[in-house]
Amino acid sequence: MIHIEHLAKQFNVPAAGRFGIGFKRAAAPRIVQAVRDVNLHAPDGRITGLLGPNGAGKTTTLRMLAGLISPDAGRMAVDGIDVAADTRKALARMGVLSDARGLYPRLSARENIVYYGRLHGMSAEAANARAESLAQMFDMSALLDRRTEGFSQGERMKTALARALVHDPANIVLDEPTNGLDVLATRALRDSLRWLRSPAGGAKCIVFSTHIMQEVERLCDSVVVVAHGRTVATGSVSELLVQTCEQDFEEAFVKLAFAEEEGAAA
Amino acid sequence: MTKNWQTVVTIFRKEIVDALRDRRTLLTVLASSVLMGPLVLLAISGLVASLESNAEQREVVVAGLGFAPTLKNYFERQTFTVRDAPADFEAKLRSATLTDAVVVVPKDFEAALQRGDAPIVEIVADSANQRSQASSGRTARLLGGFSRERATLNLAMRGVSPDVLEPVRVEERDLASTQTRATQITGMLPFFVLMAVLTGALNAALDTTAGERERGSLEPLLMSPTERWALVLGKWGAVASVGMLIAVLSCFSFLPGQWLLRSDTLAAMFQYGLREALLFLVVLLPFAAAASALLMAVAIRCKTFKEAQASTTVVMLAASLLPLINVFSLGQEAPWYLWVPALAQNLLMTRVLKGDALGIEQVAAPLIVCALIATVAVWFVARTLRSAAVR
Repeated sequence: MIHIEHLAKQFNVPAAGRFGIGFKRAAAPRIVQAVRDVNLHAPDGRITGLLGPNGAGKTTTLRMLAGLISPDAGRMAVDGIDVAADTRKALARMGVLSDARGLYPRLSARENIVYYGRLHGMSAEAANARAESLAQMFDMSALLDRRTEGFSQGERMKTALARALVHDPANIVLDEPTNGLDVLATRALRDSLRWLRSPAGGAKCIVFSTHIMQEVERLCDSVVVVAHGRTVATGSVSELLVQTCEQDFEEAFVKLAFAEEEGAAA
Repeated sequence: MTKNWQTVVTIFRKEIVDALRDRRTLLTVLASSVLMGPLVLLAISGLVASLESNAEQREVVVAGLGFAPTLKNYFERQTFTVRDAPADFEAKLRSATLTDAVVVVPKDFEAALQRGDAPIVEIVADSANQRSQASSGRTARLLGGFSRERATLNLAMRGVSPDVLEPVRVEERDLASTQTRATQITGMLPFFVLMAVLTGALNAALDTTAGERERGSLEPLLMSPTERWALVLGKWGAVASVGMLIAVLSCFSFLPGQWLLRSDTLAAMFQYGLREALLFLVVLLPFAAAASALLMAVAIRCKTFKEAQASTTVVMLAASLLPLINVFSLGQEAPWYLWVPALAQNLLMTRVLKGDALGIEQVAAPLIVCALIATVAVWFVARTLRSAAVR
């Protein structure tokens, strides 16, 4: 279970041209309010979609959840463990597939996965067994002992996902996992996520960020729509359709996510 | 706590495996560091051997030999072979095809000598032609001997003691031991070893920091529940080990390199045995550890491998320039030298080559400096790691 309340974060961005050569005086650093007020509740055994346009603050929110950035305000808890107070304990209960999903090119897929298992405190045997079962789940057993150098986008993705799930976490956080995947790989990923949600798969709590509507419609039990760093709507797909009086989810999303701008323009 | 140390070991092992699989880079570094010792020695020994052979050649080249039978007789009595100078000896000296200084005898040499008119004998050499320059000193001494012999004979004929000519006897005494003299030639070896250690550690240092950022693998790494210090310690341990491996290999490469010495004098002067190799390591291992940490600290701030390479050039440059302080001061060592990294190591290794004993008080200062650099750099990397992952 993942719970996020009133999360906020701002960044100081050095003004452009500060390091360049120019005659103009450098402008003062710009303050960017990346996240203003994000709220999210993701229960176990459900897939929660974090839907928002580019630059809405999805990645920043998930990075804060993973303890990479400290929030300015708000509270995050994973299975009741406060992330800010006990980051490492919270991280141990999460499997995060972040925006950056670099692998070690000189290590095989298996070594990449087992390395993370060891970092999570697993024994070498347990990590290895887990790597094999995950490889079966993601249909990548043939890849397991190849070096990741020269992997295709989809193969990289699968390896990174297996790496994130190696310690069998109760909570799974995925940042735009379908980026760069073809139709078949996307379908396979969807099936895997559905299985992980089911009681047989461990009734995981899955948070899934995306900007693709179809993904959300097909997969998510509930949706959190984020725009301009704010949670603007929460509910299942059908609830959101009802709320916006729309038939088409895309229309509903545009209405929800860009309402502010349209309002400002009007 | 034990769990954290297990993490350190896990990270250390992964980084070592990663570094060892980078075959091409590793081979280049290994080949250059292992082959470097013998190659440098070979070059030096070739130089010394040629100088020696020149010195041993008891040969003198004379232009106008026919005008000076007395001189020829003296040369031959000194067991020198006398050669006639070629007609174009000046041009040959300039182009360095002739490597001996030439004695030019005037036409009226014999007559002037008989009259006691002190004929002028020229020694022609080209100071840009170093070998002719070396032989010119030898030739001058030889001619001086001839002069003295004539003077002694003349005085004896007049019943004067030859001692009148030499009211003071001058004798030179060289305090330098053979090994000390050898360091004039082998003095560049410590520099080569230092650079080998740095270049050896460089690639691993960049790969574990800036490389990790560039690949986008640092962010996932920090999302595992590991302590940052454990992460950095594991990485630093691996990088330092690679640097130390290079140090060991390059230090021991001089042992077989010694067999290749062509010059017997140099072989006798350059005493580099197991003891010297081990003392080199005492000096180098802390340096490898500190340099690795420093390189990592510089590289962690860079987003790409390339950027990091540019930034670490400063470190490499400093390490290659600092030992020069000792060269410029011409051997006048100040006590603070031991507190300057790279310079201190260079100094201590030179002392080892000179055959001086290394006391704990000499090793302590560089050791403290290295420990300090390593601690600060590792702390800095651990502190920067989190912000580096996100940016």
